[in-house]
Amino acid sequence: MNANKTGESVPKGSDHSNAESSEDRILALAKASAKGISDKDIQNEIPDLRPDQRASIINKFLSKGYLDLFTQGGTLLYKLKDPTVAQKVKGADNEEKIVYSIIEEAGNKGIWIRDIRFKSNLIPTQLNKLLKILENKKLIKAVKSVSASKKKVYMLYNLEPDRSVTGGAWYCDQDFEAEFVDVLNQQCYRYLQQKLEATKDCKGGPIAARNISYASSKDVWKYISDLGISKVQLSVEDVETILDTLLYDGKVERTVATDGDHFYRAVESLLPAPGIVRLPCGVCPVLQNCSDVGSVNPKKCVYMKEWLE
Amino acid sequence: MSLQFEKLCSLILLEHFGEIIQKVGNDLYKCQSKPLNLIVGSTKLPFQKVKQALRIMIQYGFVTFAEGQFPDKAEYTLLADKVILLLRYPRYLLLMKTQYGDEAEMLVEEILRRGQDTASSVIIRAATRLKESLKVEKVCLVTLHDKFSVLVNKQFLMRCPSPDEEKGVPVLTIKEKLLYLPPELNLKGLADIEEGKPGDPGDGGIYWRVNFDRFHQDFRDQIMVSAISRRCDDNAGELLKELLKQMYLRTEAWAATSNPVPFTELREAVRKQSSRPLLGQYIEQYLKVMEEDSSGFVSKVGDSSGGQYSINMKTAFVQLTWATIENIVMERFGSKGARIFRLVRAKKFVEQEQIQQVAMIPAKEAKLLTYRLLEENFLHIQELRKSLANNVPNKTFFLFHIDLNQVARMVLEMCYKALYNAMVRREHERSENRRMVEKQQRIESITLTMREQGATAEQLAEIEEMLTPPEQALLEKVRTMINKLSEAELQLDETMFILQLYLSYQV
Repeated sequence: MNANKTGESVPKGSDHSNAESSEDRILALAKASAKGISDKDIQNEIPDLRPDQRASIINKFLSKGYLDLFTQGGTLLYKLKDPTVAQKVKGADNEEKIVYSIIEEAGNKGIWIRDIRFKSNLIPTQLNKLLKILENKKLIKAVKSVSASKKKVYMLYNLEPDRSVTGGAWYCDQDFEAEFVDVLNQQCYRYLQQKLEATKDCKGGPIAARNISYASSKDVWKYISDLGISKVQLSVEDVETILDTLLYDGKVERTVATDGDHFYRAVESLLPAPGIVRLPCGVCPVLQNCSDVGSVNPKKCVYMKEWLE
Repeated sequence: MSLQFEKLCSLILLEHFGEIIQKVGNDLYKCQSKPLNLIVGSTKLPFQKVKQALRIMIQYGFVTFAEGQFPDKAEYTLLADKVILLLRYPRYLLLMKTQYGDEAEMLVEEILRRGQDTASSVIIRAATRLKESLKVEKVCLVTLHDKFSVLVNKQFLMRCPSPDEEKGVPVLTIKEKLLYLPPELNLKGLADIEEGKPGDPGDGGIYWRVNFDRFHQDFRDQIMVSAISRRCDDNAGELLKELLKQMYLRTEAWAATSNPVPFTELREAVRKQSSRPLLGQYIEQYLKVMEEDSSGFVSKVGDSSGGQYSINMKTAFVQLTWATIENIVMERFGSKGARIFRLVRAKKFVEQEQIQQVAMIPAKEAKLLTYRLLEENFLHIQELRKSLANNVPNKTFFLFHIDLNQVARMVLEMCYKALYNAMVRREHERSENRRMVEKQQRIESITLTMREQGATAEQLAEIEEMLTPPEQALLEKVRTMINKLSEAELQLDETMFILQLYLSYQV
């Protein structure tokens, strides 16, 4: 790929009119085929083009950024680049283009500066300068990742960062909004509990009662949206993650309907709080150290004393 | 069999039977089984005392004996589980009182007091006590006798095995059909004895004891019924009760899964109860709801005769144990901790990273809670290496998981410890205030004798004033403390019961 890319660019005002028409034909061919064209296709289209001429034309296109190079099944494929992208890096030098393409490859997940360095083989100072230039041109942006607060990742300017980078609706400036989650968690539970209570005086039999107490994740989502407690727009999936926390709180149970929708209902725990936690020992942090001898013992236990008073 | 269990056992023996039996019990606990002279040797107690202690413990069913390595020499074994049951006696009595009335309670209590006894002497002692408590002249012995027979028929009481032949170490045996055969008493003779005249009730040599398993069976059913009632509603609980009744007709009580119960018979049984019209109307639906519930108590096993249903005792107790332990984690580590615990339960094996993402807990807090759970052994860790070679830099995954069996055993240990602590504390409070309690008792006895001698109200008031108000307040405080601790001991026992049952089903 590098061999092709670094090829000398042929000046536009060439007197080879033959070559110019071949160029146009190759471009037209590439434009016509979305899948890309191979050397063979070009040979079929323009049989009188010599291989060295063809190579020089292709190299020219590649360096200008008109074409992209792919390998498929051992053969090389040329594909027409999106003209708008080509527009953006216009006027940039080769290094910038390479860095840009590396960042572009990373998509909306972004890429870490160290990884760019490894991929591009550029020295850090140069790379920093390049990134700054690209940033100033508003071609790329730096986004702080939630998984590691000091880690910056780069991605194209117009991309919306992936959930794994921003953490989705639950993060605000890399901070997890625990309170927001707690409030939503309580509200979802309240909604499901209301549904469960509505079944108390249901006369239609237990199955009807059970079905009333079920709410789909869409219902809960609508309820939460209508409440207006959230500044950001939540998706149904967001509400489902909240409902799943309720599931792990043991307060609701989940079933999957035949069409793949999740349904939730509030349930009671099978047992009340067990007897052991009614005694201080059940929640004692130093139970393991407690024995007949030593300073932690049942006779002098302060937790017992507090509890007994 | 742990250290904690041993300490608890020993304390219970001390509290109920005194020092000598405690010493013998401790000695027996330490080894599998031992002949008499070795016990004498290691406890350094007089031969006669050890013999007496063993006799008492055999009577209460705490110790068994069998021929050991040497012929004609008995070796004694301590049944520590039976000793722990002593703490459950109040619950047995409560069950009797609520289900079969005061007389039944009295009868069972009299047997529990003696460990084992003949029907006639139990009835007579119960009669005397009933007379005292009800303050009546005459108690109908026939009613008591009938009650006794009912309890035998319901298998709450059973005959003790007796030695078959007098040769060497006796082997205690009893024929199966005799085990629950009600006693035939000579009521005339019984009445004579009650009035203090010599008489023969006609049951010499037939001793009875309490069948603890039967009580446990009722406790188990109660727990399951109340769990289903909490999950669905009272009608579902009632249906489960009926299902359990049907189950006993065709399945051994402690089987892991019951034999299938046909729907038609169940419906017949429910229909006979007119108290719950809703249940009769929606019985199919209730069965379906119970079957589809995540608790998995009931499952459908066939379609013949309107559907065959069976009860999954083992699954039920796995679920109940999970619920118990989840509740304990909830109290110890807060709701966030419980969320992590349940999450690991649901995902089976899970990485730390994933826990904090799915549980929606800030990374720092999630880590803290996860490692605290790990530290206290509620979670376990599984290392997963990509390669086993040491020289290659390899990535290792640390997966969290829960071994329920292990956690249940650990929580049971916690229960033993808590129980031991509560008992120690109770004794401590009692001995700290012994002087005060004794003083109060002395004053009470003085007042009683004075009143009998016809003292004036003034004199009585004077004596009562010997106990100053602060002293009285203190006494009251000690009393509430001791009550609170005793109550906690009983509640603890409920937790222990579920865990013990779970473990017994796992074997």
